[in-house]
Amino acid sequence: MRMKPKYLKDWEQEMNICIRCAYCFEGCPVFKELGWESDGARGKAILSYGLLSGEIEPSRYIADKIFQCTYCKDCVERCSASVSIPDILTAARADLVDAGFASDIHKHVIENVKTTGNIFGDTEVISHEMKGEKLLFIGCQYLSRPNKTKKYIKILEKLGTKPDIQKETCCGFPMKALGFEKEFEEHKKKFLELFPNEDEEIIAFCPTCAMFLKEEYELNVKHASQVILDKIPKAELGMKVTWHDPCDLSRGLGIIDEPREILKKLGIEVVEMRHSREQSSCCGGGGGILMSDPSLSDEIAKSRIREAMDTDVDTLITSCPTCEQVLKKAASEISESDGKNIVVRNIEDIIWKGLKKNDEDS
Amino acid sequence: MKVDIERLRRIVGNNNASDNVADLYVYSSDASVHQAMPSVVVRPKTIGEVQKIMRYANKNKIPVIPRGAGSSTSGHTVPIDGGIVMDLKRMNCILEIRPKDMLVKVEPGVVDDDLNSALKPYGLFYPPAPASSRIATIGGEIGANASGIRSVKYGATRDYVLGMKVVLANGDLVNLGSNTRVHSAGYQLERLIVGSEGTLGIVVEATMRIVPIPKFRCLAIANFDKLEDAGNAISDIISSGAQPSMLELMDGIGIVAVNKALGLGLQEVGAIILFEADGNVKEAVDYEIQKMKEICEKHNGFDIEMSYDLQERTRIYSGRKKLFASLSRYKEGIICTDLADDMGVPNSKIAETAIKIHEIAKRNNVIMAVYGHCGSGVVHTKIMLDPKKKSQWKDAEHVVEELYDYVHSAGGVTSAEHGIALSKAPSWKKARKDVIPVMKAIKKALDPDNILNPHKLMDAPDNWVTATNLRYQVIS
Repeated sequence: MRMKPKYLKDWEQEMNICIRCAYCFEGCPVFKELGWESDGARGKAILSYGLLSGEIEPSRYIADKIFQCTYCKDCVERCSASVSIPDILTAARADLVDAGFASDIHKHVIENVKTTGNIFGDTEVISHEMKGEKLLFIGCQYLSRPNKTKKYIKILEKLGTKPDIQKETCCGFPMKALGFEKEFEEHKKKFLELFPNEDEEIIAFCPTCAMFLKEEYELNVKHASQVILDKIPKAELGMKVTWHDPCDLSRGLGIIDEPREILKKLGIEVVEMRHSREQSSCCGGGGGILMSDPSLSDEIAKSRIREAMDTDVDTLITSCPTCEQVLKKAASEISESDGKNIVVRNIEDIIWKGLKKNDEDS
Repeated sequence: MKVDIERLRRIVGNNNASDNVADLYVYSSDASVHQAMPSVVVRPKTIGEVQKIMRYANKNKIPVIPRGAGSSTSGHTVPIDGGIVMDLKRMNCILEIRPKDMLVKVEPGVVDDDLNSALKPYGLFYPPAPASSRIATIGGEIGANASGIRSVKYGATRDYVLGMKVVLANGDLVNLGSNTRVHSAGYQLERLIVGSEGTLGIVVEATMRIVPIPKFRCLAIANFDKLEDAGNAISDIISSGAQPSMLELMDGIGIVAVNKALGLGLQEVGAIILFEADGNVKEAVDYEIQKMKEICEKHNGFDIEMSYDLQERTRIYSGRKKLFASLSRYKEGIICTDLADDMGVPNSKIAETAIKIHEIAKRNNVIMAVYGHCGSGVVHTKIMLDPKKKSQWKDAEHVVEELYDYVHSAGGVTSAEHGIALSKAPSWKKARKDVIPVMKAIKKALDPDNILNPHKLMDAPDNWVTATNLRYQVIS
């Protein structure tokens, strides 16, 4: 079957600009786990080019390769020509979805967003509206973790920011990233009806939502860590931890020093992993593979946990709910198989602990 | 071409052989402009597996193309006649680090930077670092006799090979060379394999010399309004007897490109030179840097900045490190191609060559950047063109021909560090008619059925445009 590429057409010049130097091999988490060149960023760009040129025909095999990407953007970071492979893959995915190669699990998630406004398809996962001063976007992942969300909101309140919570719907990133362009265009309208003001500052909890709100809707968004850093008082937690940079926070939004500064203010020493900051390794949870290829996601997460264990600290902290989820699972599996332990925690737990300690000490 | 994939799967395991068109398509190209589909891709893990594959291929006269990172710029790993692409990246173990013997033993798929990371705790390093060291494999570097930024002081891959294990076309395993710094026990066949581009055997283990990391490194950058001045400064630095550990040139086109692609904010001047000195005595490093600085100033170099600090050195060097791919960002609608990309010229001809390249480009309606490890005489060029226009490829053909005619007349060589393979074969064959029969005789002796990376080097077609499909969609 010959595909009629609609979305890939816009990326032809970028695919020509890719000189196929393979520099993107270096950090690609999928390539590191699977090892075939067709698993790496360059290989996926070549497959996309082949689909556009018609030199290869779409197949389940090719679709699986194109969908096996975590969207970690490590390839973009390492590319000397700044070719955005994830954008090329988004276009390839959209053309493959149009050609009938969407996976059932991805279709299910998109249907959830269409019917309930959240990826879990849970009508109970809704934002509890609250009048305040600063607009807050909670996002599907945090809405499904109400206790964590409450804690995060309380942190903001304690630091003098009264969140303004409105009715919200999924940011739409899953639709876009999984290639459901038509559905996304419809969803985008709904989203913009709820968040029409591009000048109003929005605080977001989830790094992926924050990045997508900024890139796709050009909204004036701040990640919660940026707001918290300005106001958090000093504390002496006396911990030694390692920090996992969520890809969308570090490479996506360039927020690298802020969480480290927060931890420093709380009296926590950060021991860096071999891959950190702009060149941090992915947790394996992004790009849809957690749903469509959980075992691959798990292997990538385990590699990251092993890297964290090499630092000889007993705690890993991150600020993304997906990273936290997959890394916790990987840490638990490694604990069972190898007997080595590391605790995975989200930054809001640590900030909360710091604020409590500060209260006690004062 | 009929290849028994099941037979290969029995050798390497089900997951390590593929004839799926998606995998074949991905392995049909490298960083060159060429493209040709293999019949099968295999990924062996052991020497025994490589031997079995070669026995099967030799018996059935099936071409075998060894491949490391696939970062070749001249089409070394493009399977022009189909056959088996042998991806050696799974053979990636550092087998021995022997600090007392100052050597390492590695499998061919070990990545250059990974090797250097492993050597660092011993205070040692493997010097012939190409700009692609973060992904380039030692096997690929041996195949191309790669060199790089520090070759001006430390030499190329061939200077570091002490010995190797090679699987021949018939599957036999031979041990070449030694573990000693020098030997004169017969033909130094290990050196013959270096630069043979996978045409004589499959390197399955290499014994490489390593050297101590110097205590001090100082890197400097000098700006020039005129490319000619920068070229003359390089020639004078070398002929002055100075000992640079890096001496790089980058022209104004390259500067604009890296600024656009990476936002580096370099001064957009006619050219820059990067020069480095290293050593264990700081005063000696200072002396070398000062000497080179004075020569740059004599040739109108200005705003010379220098640093011993690693972070600062990384910043200064980052534009040069990422130049190759960045060149495609020089202007809308063009891309960077590797056609005549690594000439070697005598030291006295650096400035003349750089100027000549710009002249030839202008005359043929293409844009060309000039840069390279000019301290070693390596002049890199990239031809930037619109890949969809047939006329641009014609222009590029003229450029390549004119350029090599000039280089050969100036006493230079077709390739100084990337090898010949496909893109450069026509010009090289024209220039080195005398050695081709000798090389063919050696090839015949080791690979009588011509299965190892056929149609490369002396056996490559005479026209690089029609030799394989170009990997771009040329429409007008």
